[in-house]
Amino acid sequence: MELFTPDFGLIFWMFLSFAVLFFILWKFAWPAITKMIDQRAELIDKGVEYAQQARQDLDQAQAKAEEVMQEARRQQADILREADRVKTQIIEEARGEARQAAAKELDQAKLQIDQARKEAEQNIRDEVSAFALNIAQKVVRNQMSDTKAQTQLVDSLLDEIEKKN
Amino acid sequence: MKRLTLIALLLISTLVSMSFPAAASTKGEDHGGEEKIDPKEIIFEHLGDRYGWEVPFCHHKSIPLPIIVFGSDGLHIFSSARVEHGKEYVDGGKIFRIAAEGDFKGKIVEIVDGEETRPFDISITKNVFALILTVIVVCLVLLPLRCYYRRKGYKAPRRWLGAVEALTAFIYDGVIKSTLKDKASKFAPYLLTVFYFIFVMNLMGLMVVFPGGANLTGNIAVTLVLAILTFLVTNIFGTKHYWKEIFWPDVPLWLKFPLPIMPIIEIFGVFTKPAALTVRLFANMMGGHMIVIVLTLLIFIFAQMGMAVAGGTAVISTMFSIFMLLIDVLVSFIQAYVFTMLSTIFISLAQENPHKEHGAAEAKH
Repeated sequence: MELFTPDFGLIFWMFLSFAVLFFILWKFAWPAITKMIDQRAELIDKGVEYAQQARQDLDQAQAKAEEVMQEARRQQADILREADRVKTQIIEEARGEARQAAAKELDQAKLQIDQARKEAEQNIRDEVSAFALNIAQKVVRNQMSDTKAQTQLVDSLLDEIEKKN
Repeated sequence: MKRLTLIALLLISTLVSMSFPAAASTKGEDHGGEEKIDPKEIIFEHLGDRYGWEVPFCHHKSIPLPIIVFGSDGLHIFSSARVEHGKEYVDGGKIFRIAAEGDFKGKIVEIVDGEETRPFDISITKNVFALILTVIVVCLVLLPLRCYYRRKGYKAPRRWLGAVEALTAFIYDGVIKSTLKDKASKFAPYLLTVFYFIFVMNLMGLMVVFPGGANLTGNIAVTLVLAILTFLVTNIFGTKHYWKEIFWPDVPLWLKFPLPIMPIIEIFGVFTKPAALTVRLFANMMGGHMIVIVLTLLIFIFAQMGMAVAGGTAVISTMFSIFMLLIDVLVSFIQAYVFTMLSTIFISLAQENPHKEHGAAEAKH
């Protein structure tokens, strides 16, 4: 059977052509191709890992941002409350101080008014006594011009002294 | 859509059925009168090797190929056209012709003293030429991929190159890497070359006309060489543990000491592996070719029984042979895949190290 007996020529050429093909592919094709397949597989694996990591990071970052926002909101509220408190305090203080200052002014004014009044009273008294003396002088001068009146006065004065004794 | 395809198929097969009996009858006339078709002759002519490559639709012309022989007085190179149709060719006083019958039927012989002797023959026959074409095609398929990587780097190729890459990755990742693990890069070039070589040879064999049609992987010489290469790779790179398992396997002493039963079986196994590889690929591919040829021949055999029978046979046969050819496309891939896979397994079994004994035992079952 010709089919089952290998022909030498074909075996020879088969070896030769396989050797040539193997050499060409081994030298030029396979290292590049297998390296690329391996590298790409690795790249894809890394990419997937990276994406997962990135998503995790993103989730974490979002959570963190949320936290920071909450914190900020809390602080804002705190600050507002504090500001309110300080505001009332300042107003309170200012009011107190104003009241004190007003009281002081009032006291001083009172003091001055008192003094002024005393001075005025003194003045008035002096003036009034001067007037009175003046008037008395004038009156005495008028009444003592007539001798009858003068004797009458001496009599009355003597009477008075008698009565007392 | 499916119905349309079916109608088209039927139409084509009817047309073919009309033309084939006519062709058959003209063929008969050429040879003068009622010549019986010898199916066995035709089948073996198509399955076997020959000098020159037949041209489609013209049985008597063929593309001449160089004949290279070492005759009784040295090297002779001449065109196969000179010895076509039983002609004798005289080259440097030596007479050559293609033997018409006898032990060397269909082969080139030298006439020495009226006797036919077989010279040392390394002619570029149809099969050898197909081999060279296969080498070129494989290079044309794979080298552009490398150029692409050099130009584009990590970018994944599209279309044709993408398909080639996907196929390569399928074999490399799915078969070679998963079996050989860290030793994959050492054996991948050989195994991938084997895969592409067989796959392209198989597919080229399915093409009916010129650049294809050679029954290469259905030729035992081709599969034998491939199996021998796997055998060599397996045993040359085999580990110490592999050889120990062959000559002194881990079995009860009585199985190996006075009478070395197990070593004999193991050594037998070393040689049956490549034999199985050879026969599996050879038989599968030759079977596929043979079925298609037989189905086609049925038309000519039935053509002698009248037009109606011939027509009916032609339709059925054509449809069957189209079906078989489609299956052969599948078989082409499967056989290339199986050959590569088995080669990988044989190589990996010879790469076992002692601590992997359990795994080796499992792989053998």
